[in-house]
Amino acid sequence: MDYSNDDLMRYLDGEMQPGDRARFEGIVEASTELQRELALYRALKDNLQGISFAPALAGRSVWDRVNARLARPIGWVMLVIGATLWAIYGGYIYLQSAINAWEKLATSAVISGILILFATVAWERYRAWLVDPYKDVHR
Amino acid sequence: MQPEVERELIRKCKAGGPRFYEPIVRAYEGPGMRLAMGMMGNVEDAHDALQEAFVKAWQSLDRFDGGRPFGPWFFQILRNQCRDLLRSRQARFKLETVDERLEARPAGLASSPERDREKRAATEMLWKGLERIGAEHREILVLKELEGLRYSEIAEVLGIPDGTVASRLYHARRALRDALDELGVSYA
Repeated sequence: MDYSNDDLMRYLDGEMQPGDRARFEGIVEASTELQRELALYRALKDNLQGISFAPALAGRSVWDRVNARLARPIGWVMLVIGATLWAIYGGYIYLQSAINAWEKLATSAVISGILILFATVAWERYRAWLVDPYKDVHR
Repeated sequence: MQPEVERELIRKCKAGGPRFYEPIVRAYEGPGMRLAMGMMGNVEDAHDALQEAFVKAWQSLDRFDGGRPFGPWFFQILRNQCRDLLRSRQARFKLETVDERLEARPAGLASSPERDREKRAATEMLWKGLERIGAEHREILVLKELEGLRYSEIAEVLGIPDGTVASRLYHARRALRDALDELGVSYA
C-alpha cells in the first residue's frame, strides 16, 4: 500500500488536500488493517478531545494577578521619583536652614549611615536570592 | 474574539494602558490553561506558568507583529514558560488529576452516574498515559487535541516546519498508545 504514517495523521486530522484524500480513502477501503488502525487513532483522538478543564478554571481568572504584576513597575517608578524629589528638596531646605554646621554634619552622617546599612543588607539579600535553590518553591 | 477586535486591542495595548490587555487575557486564559495543564499536569504550576506568560507577552508586545493572530504567538511564549518552569524546578509533569479538578465532558444527554464514573476512569487513565510520555509528545498532543490548532499553527507555536507536524503527531500518538497499553488500556 502506498501511504505513510504521515498520510494517516493528515487524513485523521482533516489536513489532506481533496485529491490526496480521495486517493487515501481508496486505500483505506481496500485494507482492513488500515481501517482498524484508523479506528484506533480516531478513538484515541476522541477520548483526548473529551478532556475538559472546566473545574480547574472556574472562578480563577489570572487577570488580577497579571494586572498587579503589570502595575507594580509603574508604582515603583513613581515611588522612586517621588522619594528622590522629596529627598532633594528636603536636603536643599535643610542646607539652607540656620542650623549650625556641626549639627548638619552629624545629622548627615546619621542619615548616610542608615542608608548605607540599608543598601548593604538589601544587596546581601539580593545576592542570596539569586543563588537560592528554593526560590521557586511556593509555600 | 474577532480578529479585528483583537488587532485593535493589541494596538491600544502597544500605545500603553494595561486595561486594554484585560479582554485579551480573559479570551486566552482558557486555551492557555489547557495548554499549561497539558504540559505541567497540575493546576498550581499551570496557573503560575500562565500568569508569567501573560506578563512576558505584555513586556514583549512591542516586538509582536500586530497584523498576526495573538494566539500562536502567545502559546509559543507559554510553551517556553512551561518548559523553563519544569527545568528550573527540576520537576517533571506532575499529575494531579485524580480529583474533581478534571472531568470528562458529558457525552450528551444520556448521562448516568455509572457512565460518568466510566468516563472519569477513562480520563484518568488517559492522563496517566500522558504522564508517561515525553514532554515533546505531550505538548503536540495538547496543541492538536485540546487546543484544536491546525498543522500550520502548531508548526508556528513549536517553531518547526509544517511538514514535520504530521510525523511528530504520529510518534506522539504512538507513544501514548504504547503507554496506555502498558497501563492495560488497549486501543488495539
